[in-house]
Amino acid sequence: MGKIQELSEQLANQIAAGEVIERPASVVKELIENAIDAGSTQIDIIIEESGLKKIQIIDNGFGIAPDDVVNAFKRHATSKIHSRDDLFRIRTLGFRGEALPSIASVSEILLMTSTGENQGTSISLKGGKIEEQHAHSMRKGTDITVSNLFFNTPARLKYIKSLQTELANIGDIVNRLAMSHPTIAFKLIHDGNKMLETTGNGDLKQTLAGIYGVAIAKKMLTIHSENLDFSIDGFISLPEVTRASRNYMSIMVNGRYIKNFLLNKAIVEGYRSKLMVGRFPIVAIEIKMDPLLVDVNVHPTKQEVRISKEKELMVLIQEAIHQRLSTEQLIPNAIDNLATKKRSVDQGEKPEQMRIYLDAVKESVKEQPYMPQSVENNAPSEPQASAISYPETELEELIGTTDTVVHETLAEDVAYVPSEKEKIPHRGEVITDEVNLKMPMLDYVGQMHGTYLFAQNEEGLYIIDQHAAQERIKYEYYRQKIGEVGRQLQDLLVPITLDFPNSDFIKLSEHKELLEEVGVFLEPFGQNSFLIRSHPSWFPKGQEEEILRDLIDILLESGKVNIAKFREDTAIMMSCKKSIKANHHLNDLEARTLLEDLRHTQNPFNCPHGRPVLIHYSNKDMERMFKRIQDPH
Amino acid sequence: MKFTIKRNSFLNSLGDVQRAISGKTTIPILTGVKIVASEEGLTLTGSDSDISIESFITTGDDNADLTIERAGAIVLPARFFSEIVKKLPEDTMDIEVGMNFQTTIKSGSASYNLNGLDANSYPHLPVIDTQESFTLPTKLLKQVISQTVIAVSTHETRPILTGINMVISEGKLFAVATDSHRLSQRVVPLAMDMIDGDKTYNVVIPGKSLVELSRTIDEDVDSVEMMITENQVLFKTENMLFYSRLLEGHYPDTSRLIPDSASTEITFQAGTLLAAIDRASLLSHEGKNNVVKVAITPERVEISGNTPEVGNVKEDIAYVAVSGEPLEISFNPDYMKDALRTFAGAEIKVKFTTAVRPFIIVPTEDDQTFVQLITPVRTY
Repeated sequence: MGKIQELSEQLANQIAAGEVIERPASVVKELIENAIDAGSTQIDIIIEESGLKKIQIIDNGFGIAPDDVVNAFKRHATSKIHSRDDLFRIRTLGFRGEALPSIASVSEILLMTSTGENQGTSISLKGGKIEEQHAHSMRKGTDITVSNLFFNTPARLKYIKSLQTELANIGDIVNRLAMSHPTIAFKLIHDGNKMLETTGNGDLKQTLAGIYGVAIAKKMLTIHSENLDFSIDGFISLPEVTRASRNYMSIMVNGRYIKNFLLNKAIVEGYRSKLMVGRFPIVAIEIKMDPLLVDVNVHPTKQEVRISKEKELMVLIQEAIHQRLSTEQLIPNAIDNLATKKRSVDQGEKPEQMRIYLDAVKESVKEQPYMPQSVENNAPSEPQASAISYPETELEELIGTTDTVVHETLAEDVAYVPSEKEKIPHRGEVITDEVNLKMPMLDYVGQMHGTYLFAQNEEGLYIIDQHAAQERIKYEYYRQKIGEVGRQLQDLLVPITLDFPNSDFIKLSEHKELLEEVGVFLEPFGQNSFLIRSHPSWFPKGQEEEILRDLIDILLESGKVNIAKFREDTAIMMSCKKSIKANHHLNDLEARTLLEDLRHTQNPFNCPHGRPVLIHYSNKDMERMFKRIQDPH
Repeated sequence: MKFTIKRNSFLNSLGDVQRAISGKTTIPILTGVKIVASEEGLTLTGSDSDISIESFITTGDDNADLTIERAGAIVLPARFFSEIVKKLPEDTMDIEVGMNFQTTIKSGSASYNLNGLDANSYPHLPVIDTQESFTLPTKLLKQVISQTVIAVSTHETRPILTGINMVISEGKLFAVATDSHRLSQRVVPLAMDMIDGDKTYNVVIPGKSLVELSRTIDEDVDSVEMMITENQVLFKTENMLFYSRLLEGHYPDTSRLIPDSASTEITFQAGTLLAAIDRASLLSHEGKNNVVKVAITPERVEISGNTPEVGNVKEDIAYVAVSGEPLEISFNPDYMKDALRTFAGAEIKVKFTTAVRPFIIVPTEDDQTFVQLITPVRTY
């Protein structure tokens, strides 16, 4: 007998399962996708012990006809594609015919299904072998229960992470699928607790509210953009709502959730300097395109796809987000912006610098003017004592200045109006002018602690961080100035040699002219190396090679050369250095000049590092704080 | 505008007004220096809207050798202008303003063309409309400033405390500053030129302004004239005007803060004590709590500092005399060092009441006109 023999179907399925079924979340994903492909409008997912004990998916889709039930568990058996041509026009989520047999081979399955016309079927399998099959009464749809997952692959079971991690993965998968199918009502229940419920009324925003909470959904903006090949729809969060991980950016292509590094990058680029470093927005974008343009047959889990015209798509996304945000007024609301964390109380014993209680002295008894409180209750009561004395003086000052300010600003208001009107006719041509109108006109009220400026208009109170404000003004000035790079080149005594892999070398040779435009001349030097004998004189000293490599990496990745990115850091640094700091007194004229200059910036809402420049207390917030209106409870 | 001048004396004046010019301002024209040439001479102005300094060079000044060919005014970017003037090759220089505020600076064979700004858009200096003035010897004024400014608060959280409170009444200038942890107070006699002798002035001048003033005024000038209006103060010397804004608000009443009795009194040489505190503070700076402790008994005065992260220090301080009850008190050594430096090595008395009450330092010879007060650090 020959050594080479065909594997049994069961063994083959188990091997395939290694690829498709990595963890409980994969099972959930495959089964929900089946339910979606079956045209369900309601899908309930019931999980026990993070899916290791039980995963039950109940849908109201087409169901499986009694004759097909056994076929469904055969490898490469599917109802989703029929011919070779279909492979290039995949409109369903699944098509490989691998999922069900793979799952069946590593677990126990109980499937009850009915097409609604005939009698339903119930079938149970263990390790891929049919144990029992009989007719069963059932409404239209499918109810599949997967239990004892990985019971026969102990190695896989060993690699399962903690129950929490697995549950988080399941939650994540269900979230994405719910997002990509707002028309389907999802319900996820784990150990009897409801984790997610979406309405399924087709409104993505309501789905997002079900996933991320109503408060966040309220802070999301719709975007829409399309060109000949692509159509983009979705929601992006305001720059004030960010997360520390990229995981909250979801991209759906034709209803399929995908992972794509470049498209994620395009989203972040769309926000530009509105995001803080290391913060990412919450985004859900649905991209519709001809199935011919996308190849989903890359990996069995189908999370990675190949998209033709990817670069065009990137530009489209980036611009859509940028345009949308630049029309929006991005002043965060002060009350929502407050962190709810309480400051931890330092209980440790430590020496305390005593202070003279200047305000208390006036009426205090002469014998003990400096003893603030008794030793025992000192820690909690002392801040109160100072808190009581401070506001009096500050309030007086504030009130004192407001009176004088109002008259002067009235005059200014009148002066501003003509300039506004002049701008409006040009609106069609220049976007930035439109942006300016988004920043409201503010009347300066006063300064606090030499750090924050207070300003008002009919919408309420605005608090402005003076350093951030000037940083933004200076940044826009320097960014523009710095973009104008001179054409001087610095020669190098010892040339820089850059080695590249074969493929990159060929690509670079093709795109050499792009680099030459910015003053980088690549000279082929032996096999797969370039020699650089001079560099543009603006390269910072000591970082020449690093910048060259970065420039080239960007070129290889995006096919473009972008100097502005490097110059941006310089612009940010210069703007920070040249700006007034906190703890700096500003007189009326200076403060007003600052506010007026801020109004003329393209993005007055964030400093170049992404921190907010100003926050807003609406009239309603103020009224609520003073209990003039009651909180709705 | 066109004039020729000796570079050195121009640089002196320019250096003075430059103290008022800050690179960081929200009003761009204030980064420039304003130059006005008239028949009488040259006026240079610099301002950061907190302080404004105006300096004159008269045509009669022999050192300056100033010739004005054409009167006029211009604002030049201070940073470049002063560097240019400093580095010009010859002793004299010509400045001429041409079309569009283009200013040519020539010296020997070097010639610069600098973009100027319209002097008409430069903010106006405050108007001082008072006849009343007070005169102080320059040295004394500088002393008052250096002795009190150490206690000025550097935080804008309570803006009023960033200034020195100056009260002028009955022929005396009474200066006090506090950041609420310590307090400095100095009283000096004052020559007054007033219509109404009983009138008192009570103003708060920003500490920063006074530090600049003290740096700007030449030691050679004998006396400084001081004029006060509602929101500005003007210090005037022969060829310089120094304006500062006043801080708005009520300065807290500090008169009752200084204890009038003491239970423990020690006499030191200020220099000896300063050196000892300085040694003890070497380690305390490293720790979380910047504290040193002084233990006083009739026999000895011991200073100690303990910083668990680094180590500890102990020293017997040499003193001149000690009287009163034994006491142990802790305080921030930096406050003590700042205070002791203002006594310039004289003999001083440190007066304590209890470990939780402020203590004062006064010169032995005169404990009425100069007081430094420090609040202790309480350990519990």
